[in-house]
Amino acid sequence: MFEVQNLTARYGPLVAVNDVSLSFDTGVRMGIFGHNGSGKSTLLKCLVGGVRDVSGAVAFGGSPIVADQVHRNVMLGIGFVPQVQNVFPNLTVEQNLHIAGSKSDSSFLEEAYALFPLLRERQDQLAGDMSGGEQQMLAVALALMTRPQVLLLDEPTAGLAPAIVKNVLGSLSRINTELGTGLILVEQNVLAALDVVERAIVLKGGRVVFDGASEELRAKEDLWAWF
Amino acid sequence: MEYLLTVMVLIGINVILATSFNLILGYGGLMSVAHPIFYAIGAYCSGLLAIHLQIPVPLSILIGAGIAMVLSFGVSLPSLRVSGDYLVIASIGFQLGILHVINNLEFTGAAGGLTNIPVLNEGPSRSLVFVLLIAVVAACAVMLVGWIVEGDYGRAITAMRNDEEAFSALGRNAMNIKIVLFAIGSGMAGLAGALYAHYFAYVTPEQFGIFTSAALLTMVVVGGAATTWGPLVGAVLLTTLPQAITFLGLPVSIMAPLQGVIYTTLVISFLFARPQGLTGGTRGGGGLEAWSASAAFRARRRAE
Repeated sequence: MFEVQNLTARYGPLVAVNDVSLSFDTGVRMGIFGHNGSGKSTLLKCLVGGVRDVSGAVAFGGSPIVADQVHRNVMLGIGFVPQVQNVFPNLTVEQNLHIAGSKSDSSFLEEAYALFPLLRERQDQLAGDMSGGEQQMLAVALALMTRPQVLLLDEPTAGLAPAIVKNVLGSLSRINTELGTGLILVEQNVLAALDVVERAIVLKGGRVVFDGASEELRAKEDLWAWF
Repeated sequence: MEYLLTVMVLIGINVILATSFNLILGYGGLMSVAHPIFYAIGAYCSGLLAIHLQIPVPLSILIGAGIAMVLSFGVSLPSLRVSGDYLVIASIGFQLGILHVINNLEFTGAAGGLTNIPVLNEGPSRSLVFVLLIAVVAACAVMLVGWIVEGDYGRAITAMRNDEEAFSALGRNAMNIKIVLFAIGSGMAGLAGALYAHYFAYVTPEQFGIFTSAALLTMVVVGGAATTWGPLVGAVLLTTLPQAITFLGLPVSIMAPLQGVIYTTLVISFLFARPQGLTGGTRGGGGLEAWSASAAFRARRRAE
């Protein structure tokens, strides 16, 4: 379970996340939305300790999330997929997966291939030579190699064609239902993401201005006023 | 003959320096230019231990290398917080700071340098024996780096160089790898410095300044960054080239700047015409192309 209490995150003088308190179970399917600069990516990074200058507290399963110690926090059972820079372009698909698996169990490799059969076909290809959608699949598979209870994804569909967006979001739903892995995703593509998540949070100026069911957000006639 | 043997000793020392610099800069992508200061630390510490404490030369050489290894924390710890251009600046500061200390301590011989350092070996075949020794050490250095960058650990180094954030997101600690790379690379540089000191019996602070950083960078870039054989090729080429120029019989006032012009021209030419260096192959196979691949990759992903 994630517990966020009075979280404030800063980049120098800029307050990106302002006094946010939340709690959610690990199996959750949650979307964090908001316009550019609303603090959604920063909030996501704070959940894995990726922001240095923070106050307040974040805990996962009772263990505190220590700022600037992403590599330790991940081992608590949190998978993190950054928006870009999320695969290693100079390594092949299989080498990428081995890098991720070396901290857990490389037998997960077969499970990753079962989940994303395309990756098995491309196992000897350099990750940098794959398409954006394929790289996103690889990035998710990398995060799954650490056997997370919950997966944090920063704009997993950014820059992808609509057909690929559907594919990626479908894969994420499957991960949630088949593996029981929770999903917390930051997305600009709100309507597509609302099909996947069951809870939605909207940030504005670093503060939570909406926290409720995804259907409730979808039903709001003034939905676009939030963004 | 003695001249040729001395050039071969210099080649061997530069092979160790360039190979160890390549481990940090080429494979690790850690933009530190302070490598010559660890060369200096090895030379001075080993020399001082042998002069003042009468420690046997082979032992003082090993201690000198060990001290350089330990002091590498001076650069690896800042790399926890800064990278890229900022690490270049921090490393220059570290290098100039230590050089300033050496330059102003009477104990180290100050600007005049440290003299009367006991030599490692004596006798009529001194230089030949030393050449054989340095050849073995240089070969071991090349093999050690080759071994480190192969296999799982080598792939982890590549992944860290590609992207630290993604690497950490997989539960891997980039800092551990940085500390190891700096410690091994700096220890090797310290070993090269100690061997230099106990062959030439004399070191001065000006040997370890920014010009030496530029020379090492040229060796790595021209030979091929992030390749096993590149630094060796670069070291041989960049050590023999200035020696060859001396046979042109030019006045000293022209020779010194000419050497700088050659280094600069080579680096710029290779950056534009052959970024993979003389020995680098295709993308991912080494050279600056592999070195900078992640930056280009990220830029492309952002643009998509």
